[in-house]
Amino acid sequence: MPERFVVLRHRELGDLSSLRAYRAAGGYEQLQRAVSTMKPAEVTAVVRASGLRGRGGAGFPTGAKWAFVPDDAGPRYVVVNNDESEPGTFKDHEITLANPHQMLEGAALAAYAVGAETVYVYCRGEFWHEMARLQRAVDDARRAGLLGADLWGRGVRIDVHVVAGAGAYICGEETALLSSLEGDLGQPRLKPPFPTVTGLFGRPTVVNNVETLANVPPIVAHGADWYRSLGTSGSPGTKVFSVSGHVERPGNYELPLGVPFRELLELAGGVWRGRALKAVLPSGASAPAIPAAAVMDLRLDWESVAERGSLLGSASLIVLDETVNMAWVAAMTTRFFEHESCGKCSPCREGTFWLDAVYRRLIGGRARPGDRALLGAIIGQMDGACFCPLGEFAQCVPRSSLADFGQDYDALEAGAGGRPAGGRP
Amino acid sequence: MSEERVTLTIDGIVLQVDPGTNLVDAAHEAGIEIPIFCHHPYLEPVGMCRMCLVEVGLPAVDPATGAAEQGPDGAPVVRFGPKLVAGCTALACEGMVVRTGTPAVSAQRRAVLEFLLTSHPLDCPVCDKGGECPLQNLTMRYGPGTSRFVWAEKYRFPKPVPIGPLVVLDRERCVLCARCVRFQEELAGDPVLGFESRARGMEIVSYSDPPFRSVFSGNTTDICPVGALTTVDFRFQARPWEVVAVPGVCVHCAVGCNLAYDIRHGRVERVMPRRNDEVNEIWLCDKGRFGHHFASAPDRLRSPLVRREGRLVEATWDEALAAVADGLAAVRNAHGAAAVGGIAGDHLPNEDLYVFGRFLRAVVGTNNVDHLPGLCRDDTVLRAGVGAGTRWADVGSGTTVLVVGLDVEEEAPLLFLHLHRARRRGARLVVLSGRPSKLDGLAAAVLRYRYGEEEAVAATLVAAALPGGREVRARRADGGALSAAVAAIGEARDLMVLFGHEAQRAGLVPALAALVAGTGHVGRPNNGLVAVGRHANAQGAADMGVLPDWLPGTVPFTDQEGCRRLAAAWPGPVPTARGLEAAAMLAGGVRALMVAGTDPVGAGSAVADTLMGLDLLVVQELFLTATARQAHVVLPALSAPERDGTFTNCMRRVQRFSAAVRPDGLGRPDWQILRDVAVRMGVSEPYASAGDVLQEITRLVPGYSGLAPAALGAVPPDQPQDIVLPFAPLTAARDVEYLGTAYENRFGAGWVWPVADGGDTHRGPPPAPPAVMADLTPEPATPPADAMLLVPVPLLYDRGTMLEASLVLRPLVPRPYVAVCPSDAQRLGLVHGTAVCVRAPGGSARALLRVVEGVPPGCALAPDGLAWTTPVVTLVQGRRYAPVSIEAAGA
Repeated sequence: MPERFVVLRHRELGDLSSLRAYRAAGGYEQLQRAVSTMKPAEVTAVVRASGLRGRGGAGFPTGAKWAFVPDDAGPRYVVVNNDESEPGTFKDHEITLANPHQMLEGAALAAYAVGAETVYVYCRGEFWHEMARLQRAVDDARRAGLLGADLWGRGVRIDVHVVAGAGAYICGEETALLSSLEGDLGQPRLKPPFPTVTGLFGRPTVVNNVETLANVPPIVAHGADWYRSLGTSGSPGTKVFSVSGHVERPGNYELPLGVPFRELLELAGGVWRGRALKAVLPSGASAPAIPAAAVMDLRLDWESVAERGSLLGSASLIVLDETVNMAWVAAMTTRFFEHESCGKCSPCREGTFWLDAVYRRLIGGRARPGDRALLGAIIGQMDGACFCPLGEFAQCVPRSSLADFGQDYDALEAGAGGRPAGGRP
Repeated sequence: MSEERVTLTIDGIVLQVDPGTNLVDAAHEAGIEIPIFCHHPYLEPVGMCRMCLVEVGLPAVDPATGAAEQGPDGAPVVRFGPKLVAGCTALACEGMVVRTGTPAVSAQRRAVLEFLLTSHPLDCPVCDKGGECPLQNLTMRYGPGTSRFVWAEKYRFPKPVPIGPLVVLDRERCVLCARCVRFQEELAGDPVLGFESRARGMEIVSYSDPPFRSVFSGNTTDICPVGALTTVDFRFQARPWEVVAVPGVCVHCAVGCNLAYDIRHGRVERVMPRRNDEVNEIWLCDKGRFGHHFASAPDRLRSPLVRREGRLVEATWDEALAAVADGLAAVRNAHGAAAVGGIAGDHLPNEDLYVFGRFLRAVVGTNNVDHLPGLCRDDTVLRAGVGAGTRWADVGSGTTVLVVGLDVEEEAPLLFLHLHRARRRGARLVVLSGRPSKLDGLAAAVLRYRYGEEEAVAATLVAAALPGGREVRARRADGGALSAAVAAIGEARDLMVLFGHEAQRAGLVPALAALVAGTGHVGRPNNGLVAVGRHANAQGAADMGVLPDWLPGTVPFTDQEGCRRLAAAWPGPVPTARGLEAAAMLAGGVRALMVAGTDPVGAGSAVADTLMGLDLLVVQELFLTATARQAHVVLPALSAPERDGTFTNCMRRVQRFSAAVRPDGLGRPDWQILRDVAVRMGVSEPYASAGDVLQEITRLVPGYSGLAPAALGAVPPDQPQDIVLPFAPLTAARDVEYLGTAYENRFGAGWVWPVADGGDTHRGPPPAPPAVMADLTPEPATPPADAMLLVPVPLLYDRGTMLEASLVLRPLVPRPYVAVCPSDAQRLGLVHGTAVCVRAPGGSARALLRVVEGVPPGCALAPDGLAWTTPVVTLVQGRRYAPVSIEAAGA
């Protein structure tokens, strides 16, 4: 299956990062058309009909989320989640650098649809270059009258602010993001109330991922039917797959959802050095590993991956070759979650800390008898007990490595320790 | 509750709760424990610790018909979710079924406890919380017996760090429940704590400078579910199971917080709150908690002193009592009874104050009776006081609270906590004051009077707020504050007016009484006046008739019936001549003076020389105060924790306390001293105990007639009802895992004497508005060009005799300072921190200059009660304020 560029249009059209280039490619025409001729509810209706699902990981229907925003008076907000921190995910980074206006136009359309005058783009703290590029795009658009007050003489105001996070993975979780945006400690909040009702500064707020919003202008341009012609019925449209790990050509690949993994792997040049595939982490550190045997013909859409017992999430596929020890992989994801746990709830804070301690023993050749069983027990004690998904995601790779790659623990449990045999040279 | 209660089933028990009740609280009502760490019934739920996970099922609904599904037996089908649910954040709803005892729930509790203990140092043997520690108790109840965590891999923090001057933080013990953080933000109104960092490295930090700047910091140690927060006062002093808790009432302000003295080996080891939902809930301010050392202070008077050859020397009680009796008789014989007078302090208990008045009136035969500082000087409270049944928990939306001439945080801290919470519930606060206070930040409107024009500004507000009130334009631009205040008062369903000494001295009380009466806000709960004195029994002093023109029960001394009633029970008639006020007595109006529990010389309201000229000065005191040093006879008295008695708080709640420690020395309670003097004078007094006095009070003092010992000892219906003796240990009566280490109230929540429906005949008509209502505020009296107005202000932590022994609080007591606004500082050419000399009509004193935004221009605020070389009241010659000059010292 060839790549199909809806979001990564710069790959087809050349540089889209400047406002001039983006406008030459029809940029901001959809925003102008919407503001001039469409009612806000019509924009929501188109997005709803398109079946667009959130690209940040949860896959929640975007149009439905917009429709949750109540009609009461007072300010409401659109927040763009650009806190791309999932290991192996680098799609928002490319969109922000290469096609920032398409995301901005999408955010402006979202703002128009829900009646927000203010858009915050919350960027990962390390996104210095991305933020500079984005800020320039915002400034250019504002100067050109495409953002700001009284757009096209219709009395519509949309201001965009680019905000830097402070480098916390948890701030990709929408309520933690909002807390961080408000200046508080980035910790998730209790839901309900959901942000669409009580969000930023206590006001209705739509939080959408960068890729999600970049899909919106094409949907408004070509209509819901066109969009549904791509992908599957449950997961319409294209998806930017971030492929990393042991492949010849790691990178972003945009393909219709439902594409078999085999075709994506071919595009990425196959497993490197002619080695055999061992497993795939379909959503960075946050989804159970899928063994090679089960993954090759797996269709990459949310339903199919979930059926296989894993999660497509943000579709950041980490490909692991036959030399990798999956216990070591689990140790690495655990170290990540131990570092990134916000500390709010005890099962996640203490559970990831404990898992990490046990994995360090295993990897360090200091295994104690029963450590493998202990890992299982700790995971079981965290299961379903955490405040937010982070603590649940932290269990995914360790649990699947124990279940499907138990032999990888044998030597470690015997006290061998060590790194995987075939890590990067 | 207008909404219907919802019915749910918890472990087979069917119960009804208010909608919005979470499952932990609902289960607690049913007597079922859902264990918690982060949740606290007084705080908003957060769902952090995950200890309260339970199985929750909801009635199944047929999606097609919308009707409840029914099983084959006709019972509704209940479906349980796949995951456990946090009981603190899940709300009870109709038909819900909760299971707390299933294997899944038990396993999860074990899991959470094991998690929490992985990072815990397990240093219970040296932990002050041991014995009353929720983590310890819940681990014993629900936890695993052992841990699989490797000891050496525990997360380590350097051991305890002071997080504030009074509280120490052990980060290894902390389970990061945020109770302290949320208490400070949600209840105390001092959001000075927060989390820093994340994951296991997360820790509690204080963001304020100085750290943990809050007068409520000690409460965090009560609700901390582990030993992470401990007080500097109690650390390593005793184990909780070694102490015996004796119920008491705080002596430090007019709120009358219920507390318990935890006693070991006859010593107060710590002070803990005792729950009383209508007074202090389960909280104490830091002054009440840490200011308990006065009882065992090394400089307490331990023996009577008699002046011989110009010096006070120790004497026996016999000698001292004889000296007093003979001295009083001599003065009375030579100059008449009117040459004798008495001044009492309003922190003495009701029993002592009653006997004080009775002694002077019926034994000596004079109406020269007064008390200091004396907030309630007439029957205003009787006629317009806040209605019985007032509950702070009910003060919220629809209620306006007007606070006049009162710095709530400094003068009655718990009221600040209540007002802060009332505002969070939607109450509107209006502040009328002469200077900034922390309450300003919470107020819907802040009205400032200039010192000197208080009455006119108050009258303007009252005139505008009364029904049919005139449209009043503020003379000065006030940013709409006046109209906002008038609106807040006019739209209020309930109106409470709190006033303090500053309002009373400025003569604002009649206008305030007229306001509540004229707007119909009297005689109902949560409506009316609250006189907030500075001492524990300011209200009781007036109630007991320690006033020259009022008899007990605020009966006018001219009231024939009242006098007859008293005379029938007293050893002599009530004198008919009007008595002298304290100021007149201190200015030389009498030849012999009895002073009990007050220090007019130290407080600057008397000049030592005048007292030196008296024929007889008798002082009943705990310490050798400045006044006592001038006395002919000094009689050692007992402090509240050393004896029993009752206080009447600012909401007229009469509360009893009992003796907690054995006095060290020969001191006697003041009522007993006066009885013994009377006996020496040939009058037999019928009291053997404070209880006997209280019985006479209930018989003879109108208003207090409903006060039976049973009323005092009544316990709220939602608290343990078993009958306990006053001295039975309270230790068991606690729910540490749910409420914290505050004691339940088994000793009685007190009794409020009624204002509107007591059936007493002497109650007059409601107060009328003052005759003169100024529409416009007059020009203030301008002080000379370079003069400043020195205004004495009260501070919570000062060098008062009752705090002097509490060394833990000493770092919080500032050095003497005067605060001026930046423009005045600039005009004076002085900068913040300069040592200055304050020259006043009454002398001069050295102080540090503080430049503080918000101080009224032209004013220098001077906290009284610090280590001033000349007391501030002396500087202003006992007046409310005085013009002074301020210049750099040492020039």
